[in-house]
Amino acid sequence: MPSLIELQNLTKKYASFTALDSINLSIAPGVTGLLGPNGAGKSTLIKVLLGLVSTTSGSGTILGLPLGESTQELRSQIGYMPEDDCYINGLTGIESMQLAARLCGMDRTEALRRGHEILDFCGTRQERYRPVDTYSTGMRQKLRFALALVHDPKLLILDEPTTGLDPEERDAMLNRIRILSRDFSISVLLCTHILPDVQAVCEHVLILGAGTVRVSGSMQDLCRVQTPRFHLRVSGAASEFSERLQSRGMVVLETTADSISVLGQPEEHSTWIWQTAAELGQIVRSVTPAANSLEKLFLEAVQETEHGHS
Amino acid sequence: MAIHNLGYRHCEGRRQSHRTRWLVLTENGIRRAWASAWLRRMLFFAWLPSVLMGFMIFLYEQSESTDDPFTRAFIQMGTALLEPGGQGNMQASGMLGYLQQKNEHPGETRHLFWSSLLLTLFRRSQPFILIPMLGVITPPMISQDIRSRAFLLYFSRPLSRTQYVVGKLATVIFYVLLITLMPALMLFCTGLLLSPDLSVLSSTGDLPLRILLASLLIAIPAASLSLMLSSLTTESRFAGFAWFAIWIFGAFTAGILSNSTWGDSTSPLKYLSLFEVFSEVAGSILDPQLASSRVEEPVSILAVLTAVSLAVLFRRISAPMQV
Repeated sequence: MPSLIELQNLTKKYASFTALDSINLSIAPGVTGLLGPNGAGKSTLIKVLLGLVSTTSGSGTILGLPLGESTQELRSQIGYMPEDDCYINGLTGIESMQLAARLCGMDRTEALRRGHEILDFCGTRQERYRPVDTYSTGMRQKLRFALALVHDPKLLILDEPTTGLDPEERDAMLNRIRILSRDFSISVLLCTHILPDVQAVCEHVLILGAGTVRVSGSMQDLCRVQTPRFHLRVSGAASEFSERLQSRGMVVLETTADSISVLGQPEEHSTWIWQTAAELGQIVRSVTPAANSLEKLFLEAVQETEHGHS
Repeated sequence: MAIHNLGYRHCEGRRQSHRTRWLVLTENGIRRAWASAWLRRMLFFAWLPSVLMGFMIFLYEQSESTDDPFTRAFIQMGTALLEPGGQGNMQASGMLGYLQQKNEHPGETRHLFWSSLLLTLFRRSQPFILIPMLGVITPPMISQDIRSRAFLLYFSRPLSRTQYVVGKLATVIFYVLLITLMPALMLFCTGLLLSPDLSVLSSTGDLPLRILLASLLIAIPAASLSLMLSSLTTESRFAGFAWFAIWIFGAFTAGILSNSTWGDSTSPLKYLSLFEVFSEVAGSILDPQLASSRVEEPVSILAVLTAVSLAVLFRRISAPMQV
């Protein structure tokens, strides 16, 4: 499968400050989470991808187009939702949509039709006829998402798309991202600090730190633990269950009041687990393979960055 | 889900060329500016002087067509009295000179008369509409985009910074031409319609080109300067204040320095006033006979003013992307 974004030795310096330091990365189509602490270079990377700032050195391709050369063509295939509260003053929601669509080359009628269609998709109702400067934070957030989508991009760059949304709207927003990726093959680069959002929708993760790539890979691979283990929850006393498992040669790593952490894959030990439960008259509530949390990965990357600086 | 909600669909429609994107911004800018009632009032008043001058052309043509010498002399005197002439040029364009020339060279007076009227329009009436009009239209045009961070929305689309600037400039130039080029061309057309036959085109055919050139030489620097001021601040009222201050304080300073201190009205210090610069340029183009100095100086000043304004403008709109 061809890469969506391919960067080689990409460096961006602002005077003496290096925002991106010889970045090499390859992002596959799908939904990719872009993570990193403040000042890691996420915003600079997005601006470089959009051609808003020039690179100091390095090269790359986005959607098969060379970086820094076909900027206009590239922007017509990328939808960008900025984190900043930006809007075109004096226009209503639907007028903003129409203007954005026309700036991407649509004629007036088609732009208006498309604007209404996307606002419907984004759950914007009659407020589309109000000036944008009277919108609430959530409404503006939805409008920015709609503006990024109005020209039917192949790549959607979303910067903090769920910030300022209530839980219901947040779920709806994540659902829209899933629909766009799954049903319409629109790749998404999701830049956020809300790790559960990344876990909920992303297939790939990219963690930046101090202008370099700290972690990159598929969510499945990254969350897989090095040493396989699983967690067992039982209805009765876990200590007794744990002792019985150890007597049968299983390695128990940790035992709490109602759960046991065991080394190995659950499939290897399923017979002994059910047999022990039957003997002790206890109920096995759940058997869950252990996984690395994204939060742990993120914190490790951040700590690595801090140690690197010190 | 609402019945009209079709969900997301791919958009297959044909896209227009990248090169005309600035027109979208211009059209949007014109529509937004037109929403101002003050602008519409000013445009109404901007056309009144040309109506008066149309009446003067009517009087002139009447004097040409009548055979009665008394009526003819009376209309000529009335026309000459109504014709204000350029400042400092009364000897050339004033009543006596005008009547004298009319008697000596009957065929040349029409050009002189029309160009004098156009010059009056460009020098004496339209600047007083142009200044407040641009003071209303331009201050929010870029300052509000900076304040609302609209650059991120514009420049993440296939729109270059040059197209953005051209789009904004074209909006301002459109309104400036609406009060300079259009009334002047209407006046010219009125003259043609009232004249005895189309042979007058041979003596006045250069005027439309002169009108166009003078209008553009006023519109482009004025638009560049006003947009540059708008780009320097996020508060449109400051940009508006600076715009008026440049015109008013410039005129006062130039008046004091060039007349009171040196007592010389041809001093280059008079170009501290943008009124004088625009007035000289319009005068030199519309009728070189009436020009009191060489055209190179004021045109150079306007060229430098435009270049500096555009350089600052580009720098200011690029700045938000660099952080």
